[in-house]
Amino acid sequence: MAFPHRPDAPELPDFSMLKRLARDQLIYLLEQLPGKKDLFIEADLMSPLDRIANVSILKQHEVDKLYKVENKPALSSNEQLCFLVRPRIKNMRYIANLVNADKLAGRTRKYKVIFSPQKFYACEMVLEEEGIYGDVSCDEWAFSLLPLDVDLLSMELPEFFRDYFLEGDQRWINTVAQALHLLSTLYGSFPNCYGIGRCAKMSYELWRKLEEEEDGETKGRRPEIGHIFLLDRDVDFVTALCSQVVYEGLVDDTFRIKCGSVDFGPEVTSSDKSLKVLLNAEDKVFNEIRNEHFSNVFGFLSQKARNLQAQYDRRRGMDIKQMKNFVSQELKGLKQEHRLLSLHIGACESIMKKKTKQDFQELIKTEHALLEGFNIRESTSYIEEHIDRQVSPIESLRLMCLLSITENGLIPKDYRSLKTQYLQSYGPDHLLTFSNLRRAGLLTEQAPGDTLTAVESKVSKLVTDKAAGKITDAFSSLAKRSNFRAISKKLNLIPRVDGEYDLKVPRDMAYVFSGAYVPLSCRIVEQVLERRSWQGLDEVVRLLNCSEFAFTDMTKDDKASSESLRLILVVFLGGCTFSEVSALRFLGREKGYRFIFLTTAVTNSARLMEAMSEVKA
Amino acid sequence: MWETWLWAWCPKESQKADEYLREIQELGQLTQAVQQCIEAAGHEHQPDMQKSLLRVGLEGRAGQGWEGGGMDSWGSSLCCPLALLRRLPLETSIPMRVRRVLTARGDGEQGKYRYKQLTIQVLLDRYGKPRAGATLPPLSTPSHSLLYPLAIQICEYLRLPEVQGVSRILAHWACYKVQQKDVSDEDVARAINQKLGDTPGVSYSDIAARAYGCGRTELAIKLLEYEPRSGEQVPLLLKMKRSKLALSKAIESGDTDLVFTVLLHLKNELNRGDFFMTLRNQPMALSLYRQFCKHQELETLKDLYNQDDNHQELGSFHIRASYAAEERIEGRVAALQTAADAFYKAKNEFAAKATEDQMRLLRLQRRLEDELGGQFLDLSLHDTATTLILGGHNKRAEQLARDFRIPDKRLWWLKLTALADLEDWEELEKFSKSKKSPIGYLPFVEICMKQHNKYEAKKYASRVGPEQKVKALLLVGDVAQAADVAIEHRNEAELSLVLSHCTGATDGATADKIQRARAQAQKK
Repeated sequence: MAFPHRPDAPELPDFSMLKRLARDQLIYLLEQLPGKKDLFIEADLMSPLDRIANVSILKQHEVDKLYKVENKPALSSNEQLCFLVRPRIKNMRYIANLVNADKLAGRTRKYKVIFSPQKFYACEMVLEEEGIYGDVSCDEWAFSLLPLDVDLLSMELPEFFRDYFLEGDQRWINTVAQALHLLSTLYGSFPNCYGIGRCAKMSYELWRKLEEEEDGETKGRRPEIGHIFLLDRDVDFVTALCSQVVYEGLVDDTFRIKCGSVDFGPEVTSSDKSLKVLLNAEDKVFNEIRNEHFSNVFGFLSQKARNLQAQYDRRRGMDIKQMKNFVSQELKGLKQEHRLLSLHIGACESIMKKKTKQDFQELIKTEHALLEGFNIRESTSYIEEHIDRQVSPIESLRLMCLLSITENGLIPKDYRSLKTQYLQSYGPDHLLTFSNLRRAGLLTEQAPGDTLTAVESKVSKLVTDKAAGKITDAFSSLAKRSNFRAISKKLNLIPRVDGEYDLKVPRDMAYVFSGAYVPLSCRIVEQVLERRSWQGLDEVVRLLNCSEFAFTDMTKDDKASSESLRLILVVFLGGCTFSEVSALRFLGREKGYRFIFLTTAVTNSARLMEAMSEVKA
Repeated sequence: MWETWLWAWCPKESQKADEYLREIQELGQLTQAVQQCIEAAGHEHQPDMQKSLLRVGLEGRAGQGWEGGGMDSWGSSLCCPLALLRRLPLETSIPMRVRRVLTARGDGEQGKYRYKQLTIQVLLDRYGKPRAGATLPPLSTPSHSLLYPLAIQICEYLRLPEVQGVSRILAHWACYKVQQKDVSDEDVARAINQKLGDTPGVSYSDIAARAYGCGRTELAIKLLEYEPRSGEQVPLLLKMKRSKLALSKAIESGDTDLVFTVLLHLKNELNRGDFFMTLRNQPMALSLYRQFCKHQELETLKDLYNQDDNHQELGSFHIRASYAAEERIEGRVAALQTAADAFYKAKNEFAAKATEDQMRLLRLQRRLEDELGGQFLDLSLHDTATTLILGGHNKRAEQLARDFRIPDKRLWWLKLTALADLEDWEELEKFSKSKKSPIGYLPFVEICMKQHNKYEAKKYASRVGPEQKVKALLLVGDVAQAADVAIEHRNEAELSLVLSHCTGATDGATADKIQRARAQAQKK
């Protein structure tokens, strides 16, 4: 349980600075509009804002009333209105409607729009088109990194995934580069950089440009973080599509962790109220079970409960003085622990009710079969039944995608029939969802026969590796294929099981998927770190069909302490899952590294699917 | 440093001055006096006089033990060009010229304290820049170019950082160079690049802007090629009406805002057809523009797809339109028809057929609402059938299943679930016997148990095939019988499944039985 870090594991940098920076900047922006003002906040920004500046701080800086930006007319009577929004066109129209309504009513107020994390020209354009550009003042709140936990930074940009991987919109890349720049300014530049994926490469290059334009001031800094690894989500969709079984991931899948906190409903709190709970390293109970396989969690919690009871029981034999001590010093801590324990036990029960049924085990079994690539027919009919029974639109979709990616696309017959079944079950509007999924490469049809592969393997035997790579590129431009099976073999993602996999004492990162599968993304990170380059991974890179890069700045590398060289920043472009976080935390403990995670948003299979769904609003 | 250096050049004499100095010091006005002296030196045109004034000033400063303070830096910055003045004649071949340049600078205009105002940078700028001041001899004459090496020498001499010194001179030189009309564009560009290379602080785009100012657009474009920051190239390219080139540069820069700026330029500059053609060749810009249109200019989006003959996306567009814009069913069906046509053109038969099915379903749902009342519109096919059964319209449901080719398996799941929901056990049993179930009988057990009807569930458990018998028995809670079947099957997986269902006291006997069977199996 909660394996300790090796004694030589490096300390994590203090990321609370990022919060202070963001808060100070926001206060500065609010002060730019002196006097009382009403603040309109976009729904998506509310939780992140709450982590930076609570209501009382806002009130201190003369924010009078708070409104949510939504499709309703605002009833604010204040003379000054401030809008805190993401740079989205629909928000611009909302603001324009409000301002134009004021104009019609002959009312003049002051308006200020604060874009977070940055403004886009397109937004200003819309303001201009709506004829209010002169009436509002625009500002940027460059708040792009929210420390959700001691080792987890989130940009809180879930739309990054759809924008980039589906729509091909690159506007957030600049935001990523800026965020990296901020990190390197505060914590020193990164001596070793690796990455895989087109977006990773672009972000990296943009970031380098920013660094070069900057004067030498930061360059002399001693780097605190020795390595940075950038990774595109589409390098590994498989891991993100799997059901999560480590505690934190399971809580996310079941209750949805939002911006580092979760709403536990009455079924968990065993009262009639819901409770918002912050889940991070400060919750001592949670911290011990977050990375554990779910099968261990309940046993651990009940043991913990017994220990707690024993501590409570100690007071029986106490005299008055001891009792006084106990009440004043220990009781509060015990009560706190008690509260947390009962919450997590409640959560566990609720999860067990939902997940340990036959259905869930069948589901996991099917997933494992898909990952290992056996009994494909059986899995396909399982998915079919899943759809017929209308179990859940998102779950069905997820399974279809998992089948498609692990099998390099569905065979044409299945592709048609599964889609037809799906439309019959969940509504015809999902036709658009399928077109999205195909574009993103999540649900595709196999190229006619596997002839390509056959030709390819023949050719590659005849020519050198490099030429073979080129030929593959040419083929894959015809149909982007995932090659999951081949990659899995090359990287040994499916551990050979001799006997039972002991989930209590994990052997490898596969424990996050019950010992059945090592997350591809994490394996890539592990392999590259081991080699400190991509050397010897040519075949994997070719199969992944993504551009990779590695760069070591020797001057900085020499300056870095041996501790900082074991501190690794992993950047997930398009989102990472808690399972991946847990897996890398495990790797870190094994190897004496510490990982820091930077993600555009924390994601899971349901969020990925929802991002691709297009249903009538 | 400059102070010491200055002293080396000043002859050591003038006892008199020292005496004055002491006098002033006694009066307590030293600070003021020193300042005056140094400022006076600045005003003085005669080098000898400057020298003396400065010497007195600096000596006074030294005498007073001046340390730090604003005066200090001010003093040395003043001394520095003066020292330079002294030094230059010895080192250069055109002393008079230099002196004229250095001394002619700065008086006039607004200048009170000549050197104070004339920071070194400005000095160098003026020095290097052609035609900077009116009092200068025309510097664009060929002989003027001789001054650039000198200026660079000064910079090196003053040990100015590259960005402030040499780079500036080089930039000025380049700006001068582009005005040489008799030299070809290529030669000028090459010459400039050879000299400048990638000296930090040199902005090729500034030089290019100068070239454009002189009417040399082609040269400007060539120069821009050397600009490493693609973002810097864009504004000038736009100014020069090279918007397409600007677009590629903007894309290179990775700055989407820049791309968008250029796009709007292009949109105004080109006719629609050309604009779309340009977009077509730039996927990144195209995606960006599409995203914008999706939110702001839907009609343009349609035109874009039309232009590209992108029938697949056109189809999706019309489907979306059928949801968003149209409330009336006829309008929606019409939009879907357009979508279906587009899908046929895109050779996406699947989508076309699915869309046609959707049209049929919509029409039917409208009819059902009219005839039966209730909510049917926008339900999925499955839910439409379920709603019909729940409403007791079994015949209609069967007709629907036939018309829309609902597969048997789905129909069975659907009916089973709906009838169980209605708790119409009689009808369910009748249905189960209508023919052999394509989904087996385990689902019947499951669904009945979900409705907490163990009695009905048991009925179906007996009909479950041998493969799923154990599961069915466990579902209805008959652990003992499940154990018997599992033992009979000699199936290890089934045995452990049953064992996992054995709870403490009640199933103790069964658990023992299984363990015995296992042990026996192992013996064999």
